[in-house]
Amino acid sequence: MRFLGLALAAVLALAAGPAKAQTVSYAQAAGLLAQHCGGDIMNHCRGLNLGNGAIHNCLVQNAAQLTPACAANHAGIREMTEARAAAQKQVYKTCDRDVAQFCPGLVPGDGNIVSCLLEASKVVSATCTASLVNAGYAQ
Amino acid sequence: MTLFRFANMRLGAALLLAGTAAIPALLDARPASAQVFTPNAQIVQGLQASVDDVPQVSAEALRGLAQAHMKYTGPPESRPPLAIQLDQLAQINVEIVFDLNSAMIKPESYRTLGSIADAMHNPVLLGYKFLVVGNTDATGTRELNMKLSQQRSDAVVEALSTTFRVDPRRLQSVGLGEEALQDARHPDAAINRRVQIFNVGRAGALAQQ
Repeated sequence: MRFLGLALAAVLALAAGPAKAQTVSYAQAAGLLAQHCGGDIMNHCRGLNLGNGAIHNCLVQNAAQLTPACAANHAGIREMTEARAAAQKQVYKTCDRDVAQFCPGLVPGDGNIVSCLLEASKVVSATCTASLVNAGYAQ
Repeated sequence: MTLFRFANMRLGAALLLAGTAAIPALLDARPASAQVFTPNAQIVQGLQASVDDVPQVSAEALRGLAQAHMKYTGPPESRPPLAIQLDQLAQINVEIVFDLNSAMIKPESYRTLGSIADAMHNPVLLGYKFLVVGNTDATGTRELNMKLSQQRSDAVVEALSTTFRVDPRRLQSVGLGEEALQDARHPDAAINRRVQIFNVGRAGALAQQ
């Protein structure tokens, strides 16, 4: 279960810093994919790109040929990216009441809802704050 | 290994100049899984600027200029520069490594792509639109370079907008081929092979999807 070790390392790395996000940055996840699967991608998925799930699909299709490190980790790494994306989407739901309370009448756009929530960070709810951290919007 | 070169920053230039010496060493020393340092803050800073006073730059206009520029048939060093004031825009030059004669982004550049996505998701930049511009050196035919650079900038935008969830309405992609060489006196120099990202102004109200 290399992925468990990987996830644990990521959590520990995060716990050591000021941020307590339960997700990792896109850069971190993408770096891990390159680290564990870079060679596999060049061997089995040459010509394909990260977008539209093409690399993921290719790795799944070539599961039997992958190196152990890539086979053990690529699904978990994809989960990291998906978790960050879900966390970013979740902010608008989790912080719904905070937006109504602290950002009344704000027209969505130009990232102004996130900006308003960050400006009101001292008073927004704990769940909203946690959501902002998970999304990578706040530390 | 310096992954990022920064150009024409309008804000915090002195700070960044002071910081650049340390960046390559940090990048080299960092284990890939540790969240000690990411160039995210530097990308954010490079792309952050008040661009309200800059004339609108559209992908179509830029593409048209590049096509028109292909009428200058002399050697690269004799051609006039592209007639557009891109220098005024907040921008970064990014080194993204592609497979030879292909639009495939090599895995070694995945982290860089992720960093760009993180920067575009940063609250400071969340309200802005970006132009992703691909450039080649002058090796090979101009037509092929034009086509390849468009495919490459498309691949970058596709990864940003699908895998990394940057709203596609905030992104435009333009390939300039070899029509906007950074170092025209050395048309085949590596510095010409680059992806540029420009902040082209406020995104405006985007309905949530």
